[in-house]
Amino acid sequence: MSKKFDIQEIAKLASIELNENEVKSLTEDLGIILEHVETLSNLELNDSDITIHPLGIELTLREDEVEEGLSHEESISNAPEESEGHFKVPPSMD
Amino acid sequence: MVDLKNMTIKNAHKGLRDKLFSASELTESIFEVAANSESVLHAHLLLMHEEAVQGAKETDQRISKDNMLGALDGIPISIKDNMNLKGHGTTCSSKILSNYISPYDATVVKRLRESGTIFVGKTNLDEFAMGSSTENSAYGPTRNPWNPDCVPGGSSGGSAAVVSVGSALGSLGSDTGGSIRQPASFCGVVGFKPTYGTVSRFGLIAFASSLDQIGPFTKTAEDAKIIYEAISGHDSKDATSLKLKAKSLPEDSSAKVGIVKELMGEGISDDVKSEVERIIKILEMEGHQVSEVSLPMTKMAISIYYLIAPAECSANLARFDGVRFGLRREGGNSYEMSEKTRAVGFGDEVKRRILLGTYALSAGYYDAYYGQALKARNQVVNEFREVFSSVDYLISPTTPSTAFKFGEKTSNPLEMYMSDSCTIPANLAGLPAISIPTGINNDGMPYSIQIMSPELTDSSLLNFSSYIEKLVDFQHAPMKWKKEP
Repeated sequence: MSKKFDIQEIAKLASIELNENEVKSLTEDLGIILEHVETLSNLELNDSDITIHPLGIELTLREDEVEEGLSHEESISNAPEESEGHFKVPPSMD
Repeated sequence: MVDLKNMTIKNAHKGLRDKLFSASELTESIFEVAANSESVLHAHLLLMHEEAVQGAKETDQRISKDNMLGALDGIPISIKDNMNLKGHGTTCSSKILSNYISPYDATVVKRLRESGTIFVGKTNLDEFAMGSSTENSAYGPTRNPWNPDCVPGGSSGGSAAVVSVGSALGSLGSDTGGSIRQPASFCGVVGFKPTYGTVSRFGLIAFASSLDQIGPFTKTAEDAKIIYEAISGHDSKDATSLKLKAKSLPEDSSAKVGIVKELMGEGISDDVKSEVERIIKILEMEGHQVSEVSLPMTKMAISIYYLIAPAECSANLARFDGVRFGLRREGGNSYEMSEKTRAVGFGDEVKRRILLGTYALSAGYYDAYYGQALKARNQVVNEFREVFSSVDYLISPTTPSTAFKFGEKTSNPLEMYMSDSCTIPANLAGLPAISIPTGINNDGMPYSIQIMSPELTDSSLLNFSSYIEKLVDFQHAPMKWKKEP
């Protein structure tokens, strides 16, 4: 594991703008936490054993049948901005 | 007014059924406690008086027709503010959801509603359930009813405090790494995290989906069982919801008890250890077979958790981007809008965990961090299975210390994380676990023990906890709160 990281690069991936103070404090905090979790890298663990569901059970999906869900109005009721029943956002491309 | 001293859900149900008091009187008495305590404790973010009065009237009508719905009909219960309750806000104690109105009921809320529960309100938490003290709430912390200079624990600090002070007879919390059991311990109430998958998470705002589980806070384990039975059961809206049958264990002095060596050592304060030892002696006197067991991987639990939980949180919280709900800050394009919205909307701890998780999942580091953590988690599961082949229940401290003071652990994130060292293992393995109060220390703050059991033995765990409660006979209560005139 590597402890070198660029906090601005991670923030870009996470889509969070950071101010100068945050760059400093978060770099420090992540350094401390990553150093702590480093202990895991020394464990010898079986490659085939991976747990997703803690009880080792496969996830189940419901039958593909039409069920009552949220109405269109309800789905859009919390939109910060809407236009003719659609979510409205600023342009993604110039 | 109804005398709420020693009032449990079970007693309240009897009182309603035998017409010793009405649901309307009970509801008003509960709101009186809220009126006297909220200005100091700040345990509720929302009180729903009008709806509660209406709900109580409906219960009273059913009682007059001898048509009660069951043990929860007319019982005042509060809900942690990270679960949807239709028509009201679900803030998750975050600025980013300050204006969000729930368009639907979470499955647990729906099931309580159908059982006639009166909703008192929504309770305070650490933002998005990330924290162990409620100091991370964007709306200000909750205070501990036993001593307002101390934290109530977290993240479900509000839900623990309302049951402790009596402004609800029960509440729901969510537990990802100890967020029900740790505040229950700090506030001297019962907090139960069920087997992963037995209670639907539909409508709970997800933090770390493979760890999150909803459960009750109550005064007694018997009450916790009443709520658990109402909210559990398969739900087709949650893909991790189980259809498996419950298993049972001995619930009396024939039960074999294991003491987890690693959770009685380094990092646990001496007085907490002595309290656990006191309870163990009581069990030995009752004839229980008690043995020390070892779970070496519990030493790694914090490291495993702080890779898996942030990784899942970074994915789950990607939805808060200013597009479909919640806060929006304007930007030149949609990417800028999202970056600015999240910069203003999230608090420090949430940003810390999103960034940690993003890093752990990023190209080149995924296998070393997240992959390794998943494999280690499996080893935790295997160790528990092995230990449970020789004992029925595991007993440990719930927390390394009793409730700490405000500001005591806010400067170093790792120190705060350590307060969940005894509770995280059960989340990693998906096991049921409960915290029950056992005594108080010299400063008058509550002690507790944690009991863990194998998957799907929830009912037995709750019955066994009731049995221990009777042996321990915890009779303490926090100070009585009275609003200054």
